[in-house]
Amino acid sequence: MANEVKSYSEVARALEARGQDPSGLFPFGGMPPLPEYLRQLWDRRHFIWYDSRRRAATQNTRNILGNLWLVIRPMMDAAFYYLIFAVLLEVDRGIENFPAFLVIGILMFQATSSAFSSGANTMRGAKSMLRAFSFPRAAIPISNVLQSGLTAVITTAAMCVAIMLVPPHALPQVTWPLLIPIFLMHLLVNLGITFITARIGFHFPDMTNLMSIISRMLRYGSGVMFPIERFVSDPTIREIVMLNPLFRVIDMSRTVLIDGAVPDMKSWLILGAWAVLLPLGGFIFFWRGEESYGRELR
Amino acid sequence: MAENSAETWTQPGEQEAGISSNLWVPPEHSPLTVVAHSVRMRYKVPRTDRTPRKGLLGKLARRRHMVSVSAVRGADLTAREGEFIGIIGRNGSGKSTLLRMLAGVEPPTSGVVMTSARPQLLGVSAALIGDLTGAENIKMGFLALGMSPEQAEEQFDAAVELSALGEAIDLPMRTYSSGMASRLKFAISVMADPKILMIDEALSTGDAAFAERSAKKMDDLLEKAGTVFMVNHAPRTIENVCSRVIWMEKGRIVMDGDTKEVSSKYRTFAYFLAKERDEEAFQHLRECITEGAAQRKAAHLTLPSYKEKAPSDGVPELEPDPFAQIFEREMKAQPFPGAILPSDDER
Repeated sequence: MANEVKSYSEVARALEARGQDPSGLFPFGGMPPLPEYLRQLWDRRHFIWYDSRRRAATQNTRNILGNLWLVIRPMMDAAFYYLIFAVLLEVDRGIENFPAFLVIGILMFQATSSAFSSGANTMRGAKSMLRAFSFPRAAIPISNVLQSGLTAVITTAAMCVAIMLVPPHALPQVTWPLLIPIFLMHLLVNLGITFITARIGFHFPDMTNLMSIISRMLRYGSGVMFPIERFVSDPTIREIVMLNPLFRVIDMSRTVLIDGAVPDMKSWLILGAWAVLLPLGGFIFFWRGEESYGRELR
Repeated sequence: MAENSAETWTQPGEQEAGISSNLWVPPEHSPLTVVAHSVRMRYKVPRTDRTPRKGLLGKLARRRHMVSVSAVRGADLTAREGEFIGIIGRNGSGKSTLLRMLAGVEPPTSGVVMTSARPQLLGVSAALIGDLTGAENIKMGFLALGMSPEQAEEQFDAAVELSALGEAIDLPMRTYSSGMASRLKFAISVMADPKILMIDEALSTGDAAFAERSAKKMDDLLEKAGTVFMVNHAPRTIENVCSRVIWMEKGRIVMDGDTKEVSSKYRTFAYFLAKERDEEAFQHLRECITEGAAQRKAAHLTLPSYKEKAPSDGVPELEPDPFAQIFEREMKAQPFPGAILPSDDER
């Protein structure tokens, strides 16, 4: 005369029928409700901060030059692209400060491209932590983005110094502090991207192979090395490029730093919308896979 | 003997206290901490055929096929505060998988797990973060467990002390031996005062000095109304500390009950296997499975039948619900994996 037990509430009822008190028990191991999840995540804020700081500090310890590479590499990239796009292809005509144009584009691009590529590996990389301690898994991508944010503070400072030094010198202007809100919105966009790639990359590791292509598309589609407006004539493609958040970040940074002007309202609105929607959507998407990140796959 | 033991298994708390002086005795009545109801775990894994093949067709045909491996095939158990439960079984019998499901690290394929607190699992994996020193890993682990920086600071010294790593605490964790790493992890997990601690063969790598300290710390935990699970394939480790033992084989629970009784049965089984007397070993296993059947049935949660839920006002019903009987169906006894118990269908 047995009735099969299936759900949590049925387990509780079956226990009650045996004279045992199920009141202290709650289901565990699955997906927690969102408010509870956010509360747990808030409790882990010290962990997230500590983890991102130590990742930022140790990311290059196995190299002899250490964190100097954070500045050297983009500068080398910039020099290389200068050689190709300014000296050989001469796309720099009409841009008064092409070196600064390049340096800003490359450094801003780098943060987002690393959000794509490291996001895909982040959950696998943190496996030993995930298996040893149970904590809201969203802490891992968040600390990943915070780490790149901390790094970006250094590189952005280096970038500002570089564009002041390299002729024609871009000297500090009153609009430079506007870089801070742009920087924060850029970070939020990267957070959203990391949430999404972290979940996809965990279930579908092959994605790391596609990352280089996505990264390249983004590089050419965001006007990193050349003024993209000048090369795109088709109006639909032009509209798509204009909506690209990374293009907006780079374009606004250039306006603020080189031209000394305030970016127009449209730019702020587009980037602001991305900075709200991407992290929100990404967080929900990541949270829905919460229970799977501890699993042994393949 | 069988009736006698079936009785004691349902109530592990009511066993005689004087089995051994150092054995932990759980309180007679205490709240439930872990309830698992017919949890199952299936993995889909690629299997590669090794047999040599002839001809072109054989060469071209696929060698890898996905197969499904049942690691745990429906386990029921309830644990209470103050119980120290050992899980024994051969390698690959599903002990660790069961523990991971109870700990909430891996969700079961089907079945329900309920706990009274977040269990803390101690596994045998390698270093936490190899590039950080032991001390930094302690801090990191404390914060991951949800402590505030002040609490982490307070507990830090005690954790260093418990890990007994001495000067090595300031070296990067990738330089640690497996024993040192598991000591550090034990120290981190235990200092956070978990209500439910699950140890997966992690402490078997520690040395004698550490064994003493860890045993003391676990007694503290049990006294503070915690529940400890411990997985080990060696019955000796389990016998010395646990108050209740679960023997697993092929993903199912063979017996669940008094330490002395179950572990001596398991020892006999392991002894026969070691001496390559397989026939006797499986004969013994069959007997134990039969003996544990009553306990397994008792542990399986079932809903109270609909009749018991009649309206409480005492007024008799004119017409009983005709549908109730249709839905009440006999629950079929789940046969044990056929390889061990071929005669299961006849019973």
